[in-house]
Amino acid sequence: MADVRHRKRSQYAFVIQQLTSREIKRKYARSYLGIVWSVLNPLLSMAVLSLIFSQLFRRSIENYPIYYLTGYILWQTFTGATTAAMTTLADNKPLLLKVKLPMEVFILTRVYTALINLGYSLIAYVVMLVVFQITPKWTMLLSPGIFLCLFAFSLGMSYILATAYVFFGDVKHLYTVLLTLWMYCSAIFYPVEQLQGFILVVIRNNPLFLYIHSLRQVVMEGTPPGWSVWVQMALWGGGLYLFGHWVFRKNRNRIIQRL
Amino acid sequence: MELPTQYKPEIAVEHVTMQFRRAKDEASSLKELLIRSARRAHKTETFKALDDVSFTVDKGEVVGIVGTNGSGKSTLLKIIAGALIPTGGRVQVDRDKVQLLTLGTGFDMELTGRENVYLNGALIGYSRAFIDANYQKIVRFAELEGFMEEKVRNYSSGMVSRLGFAIATAGDSPEILILDEVLSVGDLFFRQKSETRIRELIHSGSTVLIVSHSPSVIRNNCTKAVWIEKGRLRAMGEPGKVCDAYEKKSGG
Repeated sequence: MADVRHRKRSQYAFVIQQLTSREIKRKYARSYLGIVWSVLNPLLSMAVLSLIFSQLFRRSIENYPIYYLTGYILWQTFTGATTAAMTTLADNKPLLLKVKLPMEVFILTRVYTALINLGYSLIAYVVMLVVFQITPKWTMLLSPGIFLCLFAFSLGMSYILATAYVFFGDVKHLYTVLLTLWMYCSAIFYPVEQLQGFILVVIRNNPLFLYIHSLRQVVMEGTPPGWSVWVQMALWGGGLYLFGHWVFRKNRNRIIQRL
Repeated sequence: MELPTQYKPEIAVEHVTMQFRRAKDEASSLKELLIRSARRAHKTETFKALDDVSFTVDKGEVVGIVGTNGSGKSTLLKIIAGALIPTGGRVQVDRDKVQLLTLGTGFDMELTGRENVYLNGALIGYSRAFIDANYQKIVRFAELEGFMEEKVRNYSSGMVSRLGFAIATAGDSPEILILDEVLSVGDLFFRQKSETRIRELIHSGSTVLIVSHSPSVIRNNCTKAVWIEKGRLRAMGEPGKVCDAYEKKSGG
């Protein structure tokens, strides 16, 4: 019994790996630079934003390009994962109905693809850390923990969105608007210190800001996040993952019928 | 019936009913849903894709399922394979033994032939080691030597289906094999070759379910036939007789 389960697991891992490699190859199928874009994109975005904002926030943010890039790569991972996973069940409909695979595999694939992309972005990130002479610190070793929380959080969100999208196509458009709002509440390209009142409360309780802020701390300042911050990050990640998976499980049959 | 108590069929389909709830032109957007629930105009109608279907398949039997398009054949296969859960009744079968073969499942036009062999193989349920070991055999069977590093986008449709067939039938026959319209691929020569391969799979002792709307396929290969029409079991038994009845009814 355990043997069968193990074989199934490793088969799912193989399928996810194949599907992920398909996603990535397909994304760059008709471009010359191909996968290099995954490294180039964050750099270009950083260049543009730094050009515009580094003068504006010169006093309040030290090392603006790194400040921005740190937020940007985490934000891109989250939006990339969730927007792609949202439509995955509809996109893979013919496959889903023919293959004896759990639907979770398809959602996992899209989130995993975003994580691989994060890996490529990290190459650009590390290069920039060297360029801007950020000294290596032991706290940097804590970043995988932050990525793990972000992964769980994105996965939970993906389950919810993928489920909702099967029933209402509008979710896609609503989510775009929500993402814009969410982005401005995540303090990706501006300093938080200048805000006050209600909006500051919102930002401080925004899980994505928590992840971004903690990564900035461990990379730029060398201070490890406190226990309460770790607990909050883990609770958001684990909690949303469990909730999302529960929503998905509960609607599983209706999803198949609706497809 | 007069069955001994220890008798256990390989597949037992017991009173399977599959109901789809289709709201009359269902709300496909949030806006529509809001408007409709405001008006309290939530009309749903149920539609039975399968209605109380029962039959059994013994070990080693080759069963053909006929029926016109939309009669519920594929729904039945999906339920047997475990992709759908019926709203009524149940199917008793060991799902780990079942292998559902369909052509070109998940072929990606932007990938090369080689990449598609791995992707498609993974989806069908082959392990990486298995594909590594059988790769050359698959290419040779599909007659695509020299084309494997090319994108499938540049293949002819015949080449695509040959590759699909070669991958799908590369495995050793599983204990329960379900074939969904795989017999009519490629040119005449390839068709003969593929029929030979299918016969090999069938006669290596496994239990087989074949779905087709071509009665001749069923006549030539099966030991038993099941005719499903509009979700109901119309006839079951000797392939020749069932197919005759089916052809007469469908005006063939």
